[in-house]
Amino acid sequence: MALPLKYNFANVIVRWRATLATVLGIALTVAVFVLVQALAEGIKKSSAATGDPRNVLVVRKGSTAESSSLVSREQLRTFQYYDEIARNERSEPVISADIIVLANLPRRDGKGEANVLFRGITARGVELRPQVNLVPGLDAQGNALASRWFTPGRREIVVSARLAKRFAHFRIGGSFKSGPATFHVVGWLDGGGSAYDSECWIDADEARSIFDRDMYSSFLIRPRDEASRSNLIARIEGDKRFQLRAESETEYYKKQTLTAKPIQWLGSFLAVAMSIGAVFAAMNTMYAAVGARTREVGTLRVLGFRRRTVLVSFLIEGALLAFIGGLIGCAISLPMNGYTTGTISMETFSETVFAFSITPALLTKGLVFAVLVGIVGTFLPAVRASRLPVIAALKSL
Amino acid sequence: MNAATYIVKNALRNKRRALLSVLSVAASLFLFVMLLVALREMTVPPEDIGSSLRIIARNKVSLAQPLPLKQLAIIEKIPGVEAVTPFSFYGGAYKGEEKFTSFAQFAVDPLRFTAVGVDAKIDPAELQAWFADRTTCIVGVDTAKRYGLKIGDRMRFTGQIYPVDLDLKIAGIYRGTMDDRNVFFHHKYLDEALGDPGTVGTWWLRAASPEEAPRVVERINRAFANTAAEVRAETERAFQLSFVSMWGNIKILIGSICSVVVFTLLLVTVSTMSMAIRERFRELAVLKALGFRRELFAFILAESFALAMTGALLGAGGAWWLFHSLDIPKVTNGIFVSFEVTPRHMGLAFGIAALLGIISAIGPAITVARTSVVQGLRTLD
Repeated sequence: MALPLKYNFANVIVRWRATLATVLGIALTVAVFVLVQALAEGIKKSSAATGDPRNVLVVRKGSTAESSSLVSREQLRTFQYYDEIARNERSEPVISADIIVLANLPRRDGKGEANVLFRGITARGVELRPQVNLVPGLDAQGNALASRWFTPGRREIVVSARLAKRFAHFRIGGSFKSGPATFHVVGWLDGGGSAYDSECWIDADEARSIFDRDMYSSFLIRPRDEASRSNLIARIEGDKRFQLRAESETEYYKKQTLTAKPIQWLGSFLAVAMSIGAVFAAMNTMYAAVGARTREVGTLRVLGFRRRTVLVSFLIEGALLAFIGGLIGCAISLPMNGYTTGTISMETFSETVFAFSITPALLTKGLVFAVLVGIVGTFLPAVRASRLPVIAALKSL
Repeated sequence: MNAATYIVKNALRNKRRALLSVLSVAASLFLFVMLLVALREMTVPPEDIGSSLRIIARNKVSLAQPLPLKQLAIIEKIPGVEAVTPFSFYGGAYKGEEKFTSFAQFAVDPLRFTAVGVDAKIDPAELQAWFADRTTCIVGVDTAKRYGLKIGDRMRFTGQIYPVDLDLKIAGIYRGTMDDRNVFFHHKYLDEALGDPGTVGTWWLRAASPEEAPRVVERINRAFANTAAEVRAETERAFQLSFVSMWGNIKILIGSICSVVVFTLLLVTVSTMSMAIRERFRELAVLKALGFRRELFAFILAESFALAMTGALLGAGGAWWLFHSLDIPKVTNGIFVSFEVTPRHMGLAFGIAALLGIISAIGPAITVARTSVVQGLRTLD
């Protein structure tokens, strides 16, 4: 016969003073685990949410990022006449030649500088990216102002609203110098949680002249339909003259995981390291619990409960304790969900902003992890409890 | 029996609990020291005398923006500049390592380069061989060891930043710099492959003296102000530190994890100490009845202090020992190079342990002080 769960519940609650520290210890371990993984999750989510599945992105073969890719004007001219490419209502081919420039700019808090990714886009660049929209911005005094797109040739720039919180002079009406030009901020863009939230957009040909670049960095193309998409990819990749790589825009961004990897690794490492400490703490608590309840265990045995039942009962109690800890840990971490933060992207070598993303899967992982810590920590004390000699246990004070 | 034996006996009367408390303190302090070391390695690059003497000049726009080759003639004439070399980060993927190559490759002008980077120790014959053949390179001893490379071997790279692949022959192996991993090769070779674009990544120069360095920086910046390619020169030290700001919020993250670890530690130790004291309420009451008052607090304090310190010795000391004896570049796949535990880290860890010992003694001590002798004697467990 198994011991009722109520028995374990009651025990955990009655002995709250002794168990509190262990529960909190496990809670903090779980919170750290969930938060660090949520960070990695956020980075992955932002690249996975980038792009339109209909688009094809073309970069140089061998380049690991758009920023180190080079494509030429001749190639642009050639591609324009490919009939796989969709045409808009003015029958212009829907293709944008982009140029990526990194600009080192001062942070808003005055603490150092960081690279910001400038994307120069050509006329079709905006319509190719429906997930990017203008949002109302703030001027230097904090008044809300409407945004507008840049006018080519006037040194105007549209910055990401999320970057605007992190860099100086990014308010609407603000201006800053980069290279020989002074840029004027005319709008804020919102990339809807995608990698575009870490970019500033300018006109591509203006950027080429300001930053003295002959080549573009990449092409973004909208093919007519499914069939012409695969034709186009095969046609570009197959042409030995180009040495280009073409793939679906969403696929390209999905593969950008270089930044998330080390953070994920850090999260797992921290979880393991902290859980070792937590296991010791759980052991301590449970040994004390067994010690204090020696007589009780003896009584249970006399009543006919078997060794195995006692063992399982203590294990359940440890798991329960840890589960409560895990729940508290998840609760501690939850308010951070959606909080925006930033670091250097290992792909583009520029500031990337993303939000902590706490998913149900992550919370489940945290809880399972907590229960494991509880069971491992309780195992030895539980074995000890089940092996107590009945008579000695009853005699003990 | 004197006071010391009494304390030791008390601490060890429940050996299992003492061991578990010490181990949990040790595990947490180990983690704490490790995080501090990692954070330091990320944010405080290694330093030597040369790093305040050498200057890096990059494009003011950003490191990714090239500089025109014609700037060389102007920089050379700037007073205080001892030597200058083009210095371009090639950023190739070493054959077979598509994702991550643990060492950097730089294109330099070999003759000028040896005048700037004087720390490197290399056989003069190997150096001459490097000068003579523009398809050769020199390799740091760490990288050579890691891949089992020797003179005459070839290294093949896929260009990730530049659109050209390179095939370099090893002319020599150097040692004695801050980071003996890098590969240096002829800038001319890169230029040829690219079709002479007339640009370089950065300029690397050496000032006549450390005192002169800030003035040289100033002069270079001024020399190219309001030109098509404005230059941002800074000492090598300042250049390395400028990367720290790019890490963004990751620094804060690791910092806060450190505090969480310490806090968790505190909780566990406090609870263990109060468990230990609760267990012997009765005998503490006896001691109280015998007239001991302040001594009781000293006993409790000494015990918790001893437990915490043993934990620190094991955890922080263990970290120190481990990171000293491990081949860090190999274990971490070249991500961390030195992983040095500084006296400051050890001091911090032991300081926290000491504080821990004191704080966790306070709670139980107050309970003991509050409990009357009769109450204490009545307690059963």
